Amino acid sequence: MAASIRLLARRIVRDASRTINSSVSGRIVSSSCPSNLSACRCFSDGAADKSTHFGFETVSEGEKAERVYKVFESVAPKYDVMNDAMSLGVHRLWKDMLLHVMNPQPGICLLDVAGGTGDISFRFLDYVRSQQERVARRTARANQTPSWQEISTSYTTPTEGIEMETEARESRAVVCDINKEMLKVGKQKAESMGISSGLSWVVGDAEELPFDDDQFDVYTIAFGIRNVTHIDLALQEAVRVLKPGGRFMCLEFSKVTNPLLARLYDAYSFQMIPVLGEVIAGDWKSYQYLVESIRKFPDQETFKQMIEDAGLFSVRYHNLTGGVVALHSGFKL
Amino acid sequence: MAALLRGLRVGRALRGFGSVVVPKTSSPQCNGLRRGFHCAALRLQEDKDKSIPVPPSSAASSTTTYHEHYRAPPSKNNTATYMHEAPAPEAAASEAAAKEAPQPNTSYADQSGEQGEEYETEEQLQAHILNAALDFVQLHGWTLEAISAGAETLGLSAASSGMFQNGAGDLVLHFIAQCNAQLTEQMAEQHNQVQLGQAEPKKTAEFLRDAVETRLRMLMPYIDNWPQAMSILLLPHNIPDSLKHLSTLVDDIWYYAGDRSTDVSRPSQPKYPSPHVFLTPFHQAPHTIRPASAKLNWYTKRAALTGIYNTTELVMIQDSSEDFQDTWNFLENRIQDIVNMAGAAKQVASTGEAVAQGLMGAAVTLKNLTGINQRR
Repeated sequence: MAASIRLLARRIVRDASRTINSSVSGRIVSSSCPSNLSACRCFSDGAADKSTHFGFETVSEGEKAERVYKVFESVAPKYDVMNDAMSLGVHRLWKDMLLHVMNPQPGICLLDVAGGTGDISFRFLDYVRSQQERVARRTARANQTPSWQEISTSYTTPTEGIEMETEARESRAVVCDINKEMLKVGKQKAESMGISSGLSWVVGDAEELPFDDDQFDVYTIAFGIRNVTHIDLALQEAVRVLKPGGRFMCLEFSKVTNPLLARLYDAYSFQMIPVLGEVIAGDWKSYQYLVESIRKFPDQETFKQMIEDAGLFSVRYHNLTGGVVALHSGFKL
Repeated sequence: MAALLRGLRVGRALRGFGSVVVPKTSSPQCNGLRRGFHCAALRLQEDKDKSIPVPPSSAASSTTTYHEHYRAPPSKNNTATYMHEAPAPEAAASEAAAKEAPQPNTSYADQSGEQGEEYETEEQLQAHILNAALDFVQLHGWTLEAISAGAETLGLSAASSGMFQNGAGDLVLHFIAQCNAQLTEQMAEQHNQVQLGQAEPKKTAEFLRDAVETRLRMLMPYIDNWPQAMSILLLPHNIPDSLKHLSTLVDDIWYYAGDRSTDVSRPSQPKYPSPHVFLTPFHQAPHTIRPASAKLNWYTKRAALTGIYNTTELVMIQDSSEDFQDTWNFLENRIQDIVNMAGAAKQVASTGEAVAQGLMGAAVTLKNLTGINQRR
């Protein structure tokens, strides 16, 4: 009893010093509490002992993060092409749906975690800018036929009145990814599209975000959360960095409900996708991992429960394409 | 950079270990505590800029139940409103947990029921957001932007307007429910006063006119955007709800006008306080005619009042007279029409009876004259 306490104390001291001094980005602090909620972060170096799944393999947790990193490092250049090939372009519709459900108002700050090549952020900026244009057009049209009240007020208050309505609040998007290669690809895309303002690229781990509390209005993670070793930690980080009233949105592959569609989907996933991966990107194993990790991810209801456990409210999900993809949304209230 | 932040957070966490009050054993409790903290922050903010009078009867429950005739006295019983909320297990758990959570800052809490209420369920928080959003309707119209602006005044992010899946429809329906609840309260108050003998009972026509006028006056601050609200209410997915609100409004008005017809059984019947039956000559006569028409009478009364209400509303939105005087004149005329028609219907019925009897007599006389009646 005393020996184990001493051992624990030594571990705590060692880990505390190691955490402060080292700069290992993939270092995971896992909890040894039996419940899934590691609200109090007990320090242990059990990262090497606990095992998790990497596709259908079982690996240690430390190893998983490394292997995921390598997977995305290798697929980064061909990531977008492969997305289009594998989903026959439907992934664009899924991402559009995410934006449509989000319905961002101008002036909102978005954090796009595992944003990689920046698809969500580009769409977000487009959406907000077109909304601002629409509002500007509407006010311009309204000003063309002002009511007599507006005319009289504009006489009394010369400069205010009409300009006050269109307070152009700049919306920002921050793309955060653990993988530098993916961010590089994203930055190149941004340059080629000519988007310069309102976008920033940050390297960070979803389980330990390099941001302060209460920063963002919307947190999105599209097709990234199944690669995170500790999903509950990522959810807690999401709750931490969201402002009160902020929204968490997650787009992820999920369980197909229709049995016939499920059979077709399985056949397509396991037969076609790795082959496509080999042919287009020259990487069979990464896409094998992708397909297997989809199967390992919890289903819609379980994930909804996990989101509620993390402290988000009003959690809902929409099934897209018959359950192939699920869009979960929750609020920090 | 990440390491530095991590270090700071480690330091904070180590310090935090010493001051953790409750070991977070179960997640619902954890939610409740966190909610309690957020709600404390929200409440402090709201109490600071509380200038709009929130209707003491929690408007949240009016979105889920449409009949609220029996209202708990506004002073204490917050527990009564809890019973109305949908018993989702999560909500119940967070309720229970938040009740145990330490109540912060009693200096802000009044003894009146309004400021004693807590945001314990999502419905209540949504109701608060919608109340705050009503201030922005003049600026943004009945839209999601108004809801976002309302959320921001409560200290929440604008993204929380995503909670309202029906968007502007939620805002309009909430507003209507609130207005109806206020009207019902006023009518119940008047009714109590009459029962206590402090006020004179009004004649039906006058009562109807006052009720409709009171209800329409609640629209006056939003009258510029009201056409937009009406069009939102006419959207197909909103029609069932808006019809329900309208029908309960009309029903309540007739109830307090004295219509106690029991020929149509309604489940909410027993909840009504049992008063003296308010029978005015306007009501008594129809009941003495054949029973079948009494049932028709219930429907015709409500249909008539619905027609009056809708047409008056339409007149109001394009009325530009001083204090909407034209609208009230129109209302007066319509109610007079109904009264006249009811009187005319009575007269026609009695005349018809008299005519029928006369014809019967004439037929018998004719039969006597021609000798058909005699037995041979």
